[in-house]
Amino acid sequence: MITIAIAKGRMQDSALSLLSRAGIRLSEEAVNSRRLALTDETGQYRFIFVKPADVPVYVEHGIADCGVVGRDVLLESEADLLLPLDLGIARCRIVVAAGNAEAMTRVQGMIRVATKYSQIATAHFGSRGIPVEIIQLSGSVELAPALGLADMIVDLVETGRTLRENGLTVIEEIAESTGRLVVNRASYQLKAGEVARLVNALKAII
Amino acid sequence: MRYYIGAEARLRRMVEDVAMSVFEGWNYEEVITPSVDYYDLFEQGMGQREAQRGFRFTDNDGRLLALRPDVTSSVARMAATLLSERARPLRFCYAAPVFRQQTQSHAEWRRENTQLGCELIGAGGKPADLEVLRLAAEILSRLNLQSRYCITINNVEIFNGVAAQINLETPAREQLRRLIDTREADELQRFLTNYGNGETRAFAQPTELTGKRNVIQAARRTITNDRSVAALDSLDELWTEIEALGLEDSFEIDLGDVSSLDYYTGLSLKVFVHGAGSSVGRGGRYDGLTGSFGRAEPAVGFVLNLDALTEVLGRKATQD
Repeated sequence: MITIAIAKGRMQDSALSLLSRAGIRLSEEAVNSRRLALTDETGQYRFIFVKPADVPVYVEHGIADCGVVGRDVLLESEADLLLPLDLGIARCRIVVAAGNAEAMTRVQGMIRVATKYSQIATAHFGSRGIPVEIIQLSGSVELAPALGLADMIVDLVETGRTLRENGLTVIEEIAESTGRLVVNRASYQLKAGEVARLVNALKAII
Repeated sequence: MRYYIGAEARLRRMVEDVAMSVFEGWNYEEVITPSVDYYDLFEQGMGQREAQRGFRFTDNDGRLLALRPDVTSSVARMAATLLSERARPLRFCYAAPVFRQQTQSHAEWRRENTQLGCELIGAGGKPADLEVLRLAAEILSRLNLQSRYCITINNVEIFNGVAAQINLETPAREQLRRLIDTREADELQRFLTNYGNGETRAFAQPTELTGKRNVIQAARRTITNDRSVAALDSLDELWTEIEALGLEDSFEIDLGDVSSLDYYTGLSLKVFVHGAGSSVGRGGRYDGLTGSFGRAEPAVGFVLNLDALTEVLGRKATQD
């Protein structure tokens, strides 16, 4: 049996429907229950549902053999995992956004950047040699520029609606993010057959 | 930071004793190297990037010291200097803690790990490679991990030959290496379309890089440059010996193991055990190492992580 960690929230429904198209199904009753660990109909797969940022943690320690999680989370965690498949689900972009395009030119000295993704933001500005102060928030990041907490934000954008409604525009795209299948390094060797079966079943339907 | 108390400490001692007695059975002499040495030694021995993970501090004359981040550097220097006159091959083994800075969140978070290791210096070719593989397998089966472990083998020259043939610049080579290492199939396909050469296609399907002899046969269909073919041949011969010993169920070929290309020069190996989330051992051939201490000669060895093995065996004991 192999254990698959699924990121709760945005990713969960599209991940489960993808898996079910690949023949790995959870019963209706199981999905609707509030249990956080479930076994599929064939008994070959166990699912655990955890917060997105915890998926790389469970998989890196080998508690889960595989995981489904967004690339944004992986970039932020820097966990040492195998990434054999881009599932193409929950597509979105990681962008730099600000009140208006001139915001950059008005800023003197230090730019303040509010974000949930401090690693990604640090790496992005660092690689351009732009000194920034990173302000770590855990949600509603779009508020920060309007209230004067930050000059710009680094955040995930799906449709851009939230940005627009808060008077922000995209200045730059840092990366695209989609749901990924991640695999633990030891499981990849020790459960090679089972992992390959899962990878191939998913590859066939993407 | 980890304490071992009572039964755990006994178990850990038992694992250490098993490994050391297997080494001794193969005529490996125990060596105890200094815990503190000049940082230069480790930079020469491990390369800058790895050595920088060591804890560094200064002596009272301002020279940079380090708490040893590995034992191999010291053994290689010892062989090239103190023991330069001694008859080859040299066989050494050790059980010694090494110290490395770790990224806190990673699975390998311990700053201090005890390595059970061996080095076979002054012997090249298949017999020497096979000797260390047999040693590793014997230790693991003596620990009752039979059919619970897997040793993956590769020859780094297969990748190096392909990369050299398409004249990859260092950043592009590093990118290709990383994509193979993390098995990013889609990015790999995209990367490889920029390099029309047919040979790189051997790496395009990450799931097909691991397996038994079939992996070598598949690679031969696309790879034709001399350097890689020679490496495939030697891996093939090694596999024949592994089969002759009846060990093929415990071994696996992994052409995608390209994690330490700058260090190893031929065979590379990793050890995985059920119950441990990351590899519990690694090793390979490093013919370039002793040369940097003034006497170039072939060398091969491996280390097992005593703390990781103890943890797996401890958990196994409570489950059984």
